[in-house]
Amino acid sequence: MSKFTHKLLCAAITGAFALAGSAQAQTAPDDAQIAGIVVAANTVDINAGQLAEKMSKDAGVKSFARQMVTDHTGVNKQASALVKKLKVTPADSDLSKSLKTGGDANLAKLRTLKGKDFDKAYVDHEVAYHQSVIDALDKTLIPNAKNAELKDTLVKTRPAFVAHLEHAKQLQSTMK
Amino acid sequence: MAFLLKRAGCALALLAALAPAAQAAPAAPAVHTILIDGMRFIPQTVEVKAGDTVVWRNKDPFPHTVMAAAPGLASPPIAAGASWRYKAARAGAYPYLCTLHSTMTATLVVK
Repeated sequence: MSKFTHKLLCAAITGAFALAGSAQAQTAPDDAQIAGIVVAANTVDINAGQLAEKMSKDAGVKSFARQMVTDHTGVNKQASALVKKLKVTPADSDLSKSLKTGGDANLAKLRTLKGKDFDKAYVDHEVAYHQSVIDALDKTLIPNAKNAELKDTLVKTRPAFVAHLEHAKQLQSTMK
Repeated sequence: MAFLLKRAGCALALLAALAPAAQAAPAAPAVHTILIDGMRFIPQTVEVKAGDTVVWRNKDPFPHTVMAAAPGLASPPIAAGASWRYKAARAGAYPYLCTLHSTMTATLVVK
């Protein structure tokens, strides 16, 4: 993909999460919406990972993609069990919707690429995406979570995203 | 009376013979638990004796592994909620990591 389109996409992801931090743009999410954002965030990465596992010919990228699918599926399973226990139904929000839209746009773009172009676009997106998720956790989701168990789960999940980001950055450095 | 004294003496002699043996008997092998939680091995450094068992218990919602350069210190993927046992054999300090998340590192010291 062109560098411009890629930059635009990265800006879109950051913008989506920036919305979450901006007090003027919308009110803070409640626990149901936080749950919805977590599920959306995990699902977006699961979908991208499944596509990359299928499309990439690079062993390192395939392995990373497989890890994303495994880990984010596990986190979603944990989140689902928790909201069931707390009798909370994950609710939509502007942020969860823009995550889904951004995720779909990323998939559509990736499907036009192959080989090293695909790998680079996938990994570049994963770096930007995980950074944005960590920022959202720190600025919006964790501070606003009212239920102690939900907050604790978010805090416990954060290191996984940090590890993913590190892994993605390592991959990215081999692709310059 | 003499008979009783002789009996007591025999008993004392028997105890004296046994006592050093009892002191020299080795402690039973211990079981140590390492938690895998929030992408960390807790505690990060564990000291065990050869013959002890180490149990890694995965409290994260996704699998992890334990991999080191020590013989046998190589787990399959340990699922969320599952455990893996290892019997410490040779003495040494063994750095290990999770092969799925290589930022997760720790050390097992076997004495």
